[in-house]
Amino acid sequence: MKVRINGLEVEAREGEKILDVANRLGIRIPTLCYLKNVYEGASCRICVVELGNGKLIPACAYEVSDGLTVSTDTPKIRESRRTTLELLLSAHRITCQNCPKKGECTLVELCSECGIEGIPVCAECPLHGEDCFIARGEICLGPITASGCKAECIRDGRACEGCRGPVTRRDVIERARRIYIEHDISLETVLERLKTYCASSHEFDLIREYLIVKEVVKE
Amino acid sequence: MSRRISSGNIIESLQNVQEKHGFLPRDSLIKLSQDTRIPLSRIFGVATFYHQFRLEPPGRVTIAVCMGTACHLRGNAENYEFLKRFLSIGPGRSTSDDGLFSLEKARCFGCCSLAPVVKIGDMLIGKATPRELQRAISRIREEILREEAARETRG
Amino acid sequence: MMRQEYWTLMDPCCDYCLHSWDNPCAKYVVCRVRGPFCHKSVECREKRQRRVKEVLYGSQGVRINIGASSCGLAAGAEKVIEAVKDGLRSMGVEAEISAVGCLGLCFMEPFIEIRSEDGPSPIYGHVSPENVGDILAKYFEEGSVDGAFAIRRRTGRFKDEERVPLLDELDVWRKQVKWVSRNCGVINPESIEEYIVTGGYEGLSRALTMKPEEVIEEIRLAGLRGRGGAGFPTWLKWKICREQSSEEKYVICNADEGDPGAFMNRLLAESDPHRVLEGLIIAGYAIGASQGVIFVRAEKPLMAARLEKAVEDARRWGLLGENILGSGFSFDVRVMRSAGAFVCGEETAMIAAIEGRRAMPRQRPPYPASKGLWDKPTVVNNVETLAHVATIMAHGWREFAKYGTERSKGTKMFCVTGGVKRTGAFEVPIGTTIRALVYDIAGGPREGRMIKAVQIGGPSGGCLPERLFDLPIDYESLQEAGAIMGSGGLVVIDDTNCMVDVARYFTSFTLAESCGKCIPCRVGTKALYDRLSAIVEGMGSQEDLQLLEEIGMMMKEAALCALGGTAPNPILSSLRYFRDEYEAHILEKKCPAKVCSRLVTYAINQELCVKCGLCAKSCPVGAIVKTADGHFTVDESKCIRCGTCVITCPRGAVEKR
Repeated sequence: MKVRINGLEVEAREGEKILDVANRLGIRIPTLCYLKNVYEGASCRICVVELGNGKLIPACAYEVSDGLTVSTDTPKIRESRRTTLELLLSAHRITCQNCPKKGECTLVELCSECGIEGIPVCAECPLHGEDCFIARGEICLGPITASGCKAECIRDGRACEGCRGPVTRRDVIERARRIYIEHDISLETVLERLKTYCASSHEFDLIREYLIVKEVVKE
Repeated sequence: MSRRISSGNIIESLQNVQEKHGFLPRDSLIKLSQDTRIPLSRIFGVATFYHQFRLEPPGRVTIAVCMGTACHLRGNAENYEFLKRFLSIGPGRSTSDDGLFSLEKARCFGCCSLAPVVKIGDMLIGKATPRELQRAISRIREEILREEAARETRG
Repeated sequence: MMRQEYWTLMDPCCDYCLHSWDNPCAKYVVCRVRGPFCHKSVECREKRQRRVKEVLYGSQGVRINIGASSCGLAAGAEKVIEAVKDGLRSMGVEAEISAVGCLGLCFMEPFIEIRSEDGPSPIYGHVSPENVGDILAKYFEEGSVDGAFAIRRRTGRFKDEERVPLLDELDVWRKQVKWVSRNCGVINPESIEEYIVTGGYEGLSRALTMKPEEVIEEIRLAGLRGRGGAGFPTWLKWKICREQSSEEKYVICNADEGDPGAFMNRLLAESDPHRVLEGLIIAGYAIGASQGVIFVRAEKPLMAARLEKAVEDARRWGLLGENILGSGFSFDVRVMRSAGAFVCGEETAMIAAIEGRRAMPRQRPPYPASKGLWDKPTVVNNVETLAHVATIMAHGWREFAKYGTERSKGTKMFCVTGGVKRTGAFEVPIGTTIRALVYDIAGGPREGRMIKAVQIGGPSGGCLPERLFDLPIDYESLQEAGAIMGSGGLVVIDDTNCMVDVARYFTSFTLAESCGKCIPCRVGTKALYDRLSAIVEGMGSQEDLQLLEEIGMMMKEAALCALGGTAPNPILSSLRYFRDEYEAHILEKKCPAKVCSRLVTYAINQELCVKCGLCAKSCPVGAIVKTADGHFTVDESKCIRCGTCVITCPRGAVEKR
């Protein structure tokens, strides 16, 4: 039978999944929960692709049929993946410094691929094989700075200066606070550093509130 | 009838266990696992998935508050909160301190026309109000205590 | 075959009749009422006709029907039965007392009906042990039908007949079409004999004389679509399954009705279980299955018990088992009790449950029709669909297709609950307007209230505002308007209900019932619920509304099964039609319906207050204080708005503002 993926016509066998056919063509479809022959339950919905009729279906579990038309990268797909990932992150403890999967995390890779904000730079840092600067006692803005940074400095072995701008998600900042406090790094100094790359005073105030003011209230 | 459908159906075995004990005692589950050669983890997986199964012994009388739409709209959420306070059932618990009553949220009983509905033991109370519930529960509590007292004097 | 002490219609009339489960007769069913066919005997014929009358009107010619399905029992039918027995005994009247199913007129439960062959058959509502003696005395001693809700016929032989309306003339009955629910509240559901007398199992007898393909064709012509929600053509499902080359096939009756607000399946299966079973056997014959499973909700024990009894009786009289009615078709059914999980309503999840696993749905396709129970082709039909199948096979597709619209034929049962005068289960042709259902049949709003919306289809459906009430109820129109037909639960929302709270309620339901397999549903419902909670607590922002829509749209597209895919419907539809209520919560921090406790303030109406001080005593934070002049007032700054005082006050003097 013949299947059309992203406009390319390809021969497919009965019972094959869209994902298999796409892989053969060299078209990459991101996956998260899928592990061939081990788990094919289509749980994560990251591998969604669009059918000719506009329906989104998971490529890992959908069997091909003759004349099937599939697109693997459309605005609708990107939007859906992003929202799914954001939902997943909202329930995820992003403690990348101490994570056993440090350095080989599909989730972080996916996030930077989908352009998700809210993942701090320090999630990427271990992916590049860097040790945690904070653990070494250096002032690094990684935990509160938006990821997606492919800047040289991190790969250079230097701590993050925050040039991609801050993350304003409360849970991320609160987690960062714990990390800083744990390693005896003064929150004032961190804020002082951050000022340079904060786009607006509103952003800065928000972060200050989450980082410092809240603590004062608690005490 | 089909051996395939009945065999290996943990759900029905669990239903039988629960019918016998009122809940699923750990020992029974372990025994079930040994008898059926189904891994204990799978049995627990099923037992925790379905609402019907409970792993804790229930109170003497179970109070089920229907959380169906009609019951919600006619005020069963308030009834539930009231019962929690009235029976002084702490957060995360389901049985009152005296072990007499356990409180649970139930799915629709299919008696939406009598909403809000609360089921105390086998007795369905339609158009329930906190006042009415209070009366019914007090009556049942008295009955149980009287029974117990009677048994003690006899014993 | 076991003999009872008295002769029933199901038994052989004389030694000529040879039907038994091991020697089945093709004409067994039709022969019962119209026969005997195989031998000429006036005596046997008369014997049967006498028995038919006895079944319909009791051996004394008078029969008292008492509605005793779950809802009737909940309303106290059991005590009424006892009271009726006592009443008859004290008057010295002999009459048959029969526990029947539900008429669908739930607002007047428990009801009784006094039937006799030539009597007016009065139906009385709100019967209690206290007033039943009076009713019986009036009927039997004074010959009056005074106090009845309605009568079925005017005979001119009873007093007060003119004062009581005819049932067929009442709005609540006139606009209904009793097609599939024709026997509900009329026959004793535990008696297979009564079902046979009312034409039961004739559909099966007819189907067995046809080829399976012809049965499927008949259902196609009827235009029957699944009554469980999605409206997939029943015949197509069957055809796909029939065409699978597999020796083993299964048919499952979905009786796991879990939509809060919908109970028509329970009503049908409790009031007329044989009709459901008959439909299941026909479905089995059409697709070539030899086994059927009825999957019943655990919370509805009476429904399971009645279905089990029906299966047992059918098996006993050779309507189930080997070589049914001599057709060579063998079929058996097993009733399985679900352990309770809403997601079981999804067919792949239900199959997982029947196989004894956690009820988690799987990606479709492959659909169960090609790969279902134990990986064999399986058809899953819901209770109402199967009951329709039996009725269509008995009366022909033309009768069925008379009702309904171009694309959706036939009738559908709806359960109307919430803020209306007459709650109940009503059967109307598809295409009836919401207005006709809510205002004419269900009687419109309760005293002094105003209806603002209906929620159709439970937690998977959406709400529709009053201005859309002229919309015909059919699969497509509802879908376009943002709701779904669902299984037919219709909850009427009046001005005492807050739309945001309703949406939050439904989301809390799906949140609790999500099986957790896919991210959009597992995390999405939680995210939606958190946003809605923030809004009802007065901490929401405009951004939240945008977020609700964004997550909702994603879930619709990307969730694995229908539970997750439809979970955002209540939110999306209420955002579409009642955005102003959301905005009132966010911008003005006010709940227009005074439901959301964090957004209302409490005050004591001094005119109603009797100064008992109970409220002050019950307040957990001591926010209610006694002023110097002896009045009680609420201290706004301390009040945590728990609402305890409202519940405690014996005079209703604590008011929400």
